[in-house]
Amino acid sequence: MRWSSGLVRRAAKAIALLVVAGLPAAADTAFVTCQNGDALSVFDLTSSAETARWSVPGKPAGVAVSKDGAVFTVSPDSKTVRRYDRAGTVQAETVLDGGPIGIAHDMARGRVFVSDWYNARIWALSDDTLAPITELTTGAAPAGLSLSDDGRFLASADRDADQVSVFDAGTLALLHRVKVGTRPFGLRFASDGRLFVGNVGSNDLSILDPATGSILATVPVGERPYGVAFAAGRAFVTNQYEDTVSVIDMQTLREETRIEVGEYPEGIDATADGTRIVVANWFDNTATIIDAQTLSVSQVLDTCDGPRAFGVFLLGGEE
Amino acid sequence: MKRREFMAMTAVALMLPGLAAAHGPTRQKITLTTEVAADPAEVWQAIGNFQDMGWHPAVFSTTGEGGNEIDATRVLTLGEEGGPTISEILYKYSDEKMSYSYRITEVAVEVLPVTNYSSHLTVKPLDGGGSEVEWRGAFYRGYPNNDPPENLNDEAAIAAVSGVYQAGLDALVERFGAPGS
Repeated sequence: MRWSSGLVRRAAKAIALLVVAGLPAAADTAFVTCQNGDALSVFDLTSSAETARWSVPGKPAGVAVSKDGAVFTVSPDSKTVRRYDRAGTVQAETVLDGGPIGIAHDMARGRVFVSDWYNARIWALSDDTLAPITELTTGAAPAGLSLSDDGRFLASADRDADQVSVFDAGTLALLHRVKVGTRPFGLRFASDGRLFVGNVGSNDLSILDPATGSILATVPVGERPYGVAFAAGRAFVTNQYEDTVSVIDMQTLREETRIEVGEYPEGIDATADGTRIVVANWFDNTATIIDAQTLSVSQVLDTCDGPRAFGVFLLGGEE
Repeated sequence: MKRREFMAMTAVALMLPGLAAAHGPTRQKITLTTEVAADPAEVWQAIGNFQDMGWHPAVFSTTGEGGNEIDATRVLTLGEEGGPTISEILYKYSDEKMSYSYRITEVAVEVLPVTNYSSHLTVKPLDGGGSEVEWRGAFYRGYPNNDPPENLNDEAAIAAVSGVYQAGLDALVERFGAPGS
């Protein structure tokens, strides 16, 4: 019977939650790149304490954190990409001649991708040594990069071409060039496979099917949507010029509400358990933590100077 | 500005493809504050009208449309009649918070070496009387590509915007007096 499977699943989930609640909480860690401060703030999201502050020269903005504990940063001023371990030790470092900005890690295939803002391409690097593997051609000014959860697709937001490039993440072949709204900058794949793209020029989200390259919907949000993250059946979008986060219902694609955060909200990510959203507020030097269920602000943390956190910056605890 | 300097920068601008579209790698931010003796309402009355930037010594005239409504616009003429202009748009306004926020929609980098500029002007009460005026800005340097010339780099952008803010805030101290003076 159908009803029972739902019930069983819900009951199992409730038991799992109880078990988790009874154990020491699995610690999520936030790695927040601070561009103006040449630094990275590390937060333990269980205690909400800043547990470390790394020196990251060259004005870091882009970040990609992996389940294996690798932390990649991109410093566009010095054109430097670094791989750190979670304790802050530099494991590899490389200088890329161009304008490195966005970054995404394909852990399964041992590759890391970096967009080149000035030269309409993506560098594919080996994820351990950061040695170059190959280059992919994009439209003008590629910024945000994202890898789909199932590892099939890599996408870039080509800001000055008003398009998204979708690649086969395995073969690295170009699959689609899709016209989206005006000046797409940040983008991310949802766990259901859809690609959400923030268009800073037209103040909306383009939602794509990466397999067909078709636009599924265009959803208006606030002023200058910058980053997208997902939790609790919702998409959360930072509205950079409005100091808010738009909350979109993933089913109806309607905006449920807007949450006030700090000034110039930029990087946004969800905890591994999907209960919380973390937002970096660039002007305020803070990070806002939002309860993904109640949609209330639960905490505001002080960060290093100029937090961007442009990319995946949360690492889930041990499971 | 010296004529030769102006010509040199115009030449730089012409050589850059996509000048209006791209921006530099690192957004800059500054916050300048000053304290004055007058109470916040009086200071806000003087500086809280988006259509009148006459309190700033560098501004010759202000013309605009839309009053203090969101999306109101203004054009500041600097220095003298026929002087360089800056076009701006209002995107937040609160009489209650005594604060407004605006963006530059058009300025030549020879006038102000920045792009993607946004700013907030706020009056706050001081404990024990008087006001604090806070002026904050966020912007990219004037040169959008790698390896900027010195006059269009991050430092030049910060210095130029800081200079504008400081001149405005100094004029307010002169007008309203320092607290306790």
